[in-house]
Amino acid sequence: MISKEKLKEYANKLMFDMNEEEYETLQNEFDIILKQMEWIEKIPNIKDVEPMTFPFPLKNACLRKDEVGDYLTVDEVLMNTKHQVRDQVKVPKVVE
Amino acid sequence: MDYKHSTIEQLNEAICTGKVKSEELFNEAMHLIEQYQEDYNAFVTIISKYKKYGQKDTLISGIPYALKDNISTSGILTTASSNILKDYIPVYDATIYKKLKQAGAVLVGKTTLDELAMGGTGTTAHTGIVRNPYDKQRLIGGSSAGSAAAVSLGIVPFAIGSDTGDSIRKPASFGGIVGFKPTYGRISRYGLFAFASSLDHIGCFTRNVRDAAIVTDILKGNDPNDMTTLPDEEVCYLDHLNDDIKGRKLFYIKEICEEKIYQDSDENVKKTIETFHQTVEKLKEAGFEVDEVSINKELLNAIYPTYMIISCAEATSNNANLTGIQFGPRQDGQDINEIMFRARTIGFSELIKRRFVLGSYILQKENQEKLFKNACRVRRMIVDKMNDLFKEYDGLILPASGTIAPEFTHTSKSEKLDPKATVLENHMAIANFGGFPSITLPMYYYKGLPVGINLTGRPREDKDVLNMAQKIEDVLQIKNKVAGDYDV
Repeated sequence: MISKEKLKEYANKLMFDMNEEEYETLQNEFDIILKQMEWIEKIPNIKDVEPMTFPFPLKNACLRKDEVGDYLTVDEVLMNTKHQVRDQVKVPKVVE
Repeated sequence: MDYKHSTIEQLNEAICTGKVKSEELFNEAMHLIEQYQEDYNAFVTIISKYKKYGQKDTLISGIPYALKDNISTSGILTTASSNILKDYIPVYDATIYKKLKQAGAVLVGKTTLDELAMGGTGTTAHTGIVRNPYDKQRLIGGSSAGSAAAVSLGIVPFAIGSDTGDSIRKPASFGGIVGFKPTYGRISRYGLFAFASSLDHIGCFTRNVRDAAIVTDILKGNDPNDMTTLPDEEVCYLDHLNDDIKGRKLFYIKEICEEKIYQDSDENVKKTIETFHQTVEKLKEAGFEVDEVSINKELLNAIYPTYMIISCAEATSNNANLTGIQFGPRQDGQDINEIMFRARTIGFSELIKRRFVLGSYILQKENQEKLFKNACRVRRMIVDKMNDLFKEYDGLILPASGTIAPEFTHTSKSEKLDPKATVLENHMAIANFGGFPSITLPMYYYKGLPVGINLTGRPREDKDVLNMAQKIEDVLQIKNKVAGDYDV
């Protein structure tokens, strides 16, 4: 069974924490999920297959031209934060 | 007029002939929201002021509808049903919202979802659980729970949802309505809050297949803002609907539908499988060819874990922008890392965190090959198998769920280790793996509660899927139903 310490490490890497009870639930859930994941390893010749990352090749996918399009105003960008100073998002000092 | 049971075309005709005004339909929808919101919690935000934009000459002009609350609407609160976005007001419109406005449809509200669209129960929204319109003790399914409930209750004739594993098609089954997700890329996702980008689709809920064609005709189309959208095609899905399914060949999967597999299952599952086979016979009588096809069991058993691995890994990355800095509730902290850490700890619910930890585990260097890449390999094997079958067959039909909507108290932990139940309940993710167009429509009622049937077709052939679905609807003769039409 995966340890709670390991789960805490994974959670902290994603910048959040959980309480003791939640880690316990997660530990039990992991037990089930890891067993389910073993079903994948039972598939024969899996190593010979190219991994698929999109449903099908996207023929029309290309970068947009370098042209000015719609853009947000400073007020729009800052609309969802109360913490702002001189048209910028205010955060604690990052340079000592 | 009978607003709750009317089709989009009937409502359109009533507006065009002056029998009813758009504003009166809106007021009717508001009245129903007032009546149902406390019990069913379908909405996060209710747009109580009538506002109509756009054209007058589309079929949906003047008609009320609802949008899932993970779709960006400029100036309108959009929370994704998460505390971390509980005050977020977008500054731009999703492409589909623009299209719906231009077409003259009238938004009545933003609907409740499983937090960040990650979940299949409708029980994890920051504003509370969504209840099944057929039975308040049961869930409606998710993640597009509120959209499904709003259509099933008759509040709106159509609603928009998103579907990453079956998030439109499963709640459609539990709500006794139609749920359609077209081919990957058919509808722009610009403005949809991403969950798992390689699996995410936008689609619609309606109460009949014809209405699904009407709504999809409005939503579809190439979008320069979404590089995954398909090129435009010169076809109107509504015009393409006809009675002709001559020569159409369907298949179902033996390893999911064989009655003997479910000998020890409960009566509801047995009845669903029995009804499914009866339906197959009816479809044959109606002109479809239907074959039973066998697929490697190991491959089918791998559908659910493959979905979990890919979706959790992608979600972990997609939601990294939720920091409480530029938007979302700001928490105190000595530095930005502490602010983000606290914002994410407080802002995400337990279930979301559990999914993210799983994603983090999968993406660890030592697990990438064994878990993530193997899941992507299985995805290709499943999709290749389906594409091979689609060379001979026009569609795959299967029960959309094995049972009626579960009760809230039901625990499915043990089922999750039972591959046969897991495959029956999770096979619709196949359509997300391959981007296949896929539609659920009502099949039958068990003790007064609906169970759906699902049809999945070839990529890009949305029009044929809709056409075949309409024929199936004709055969089953269940359409335009709202909860309350059947007594539980």
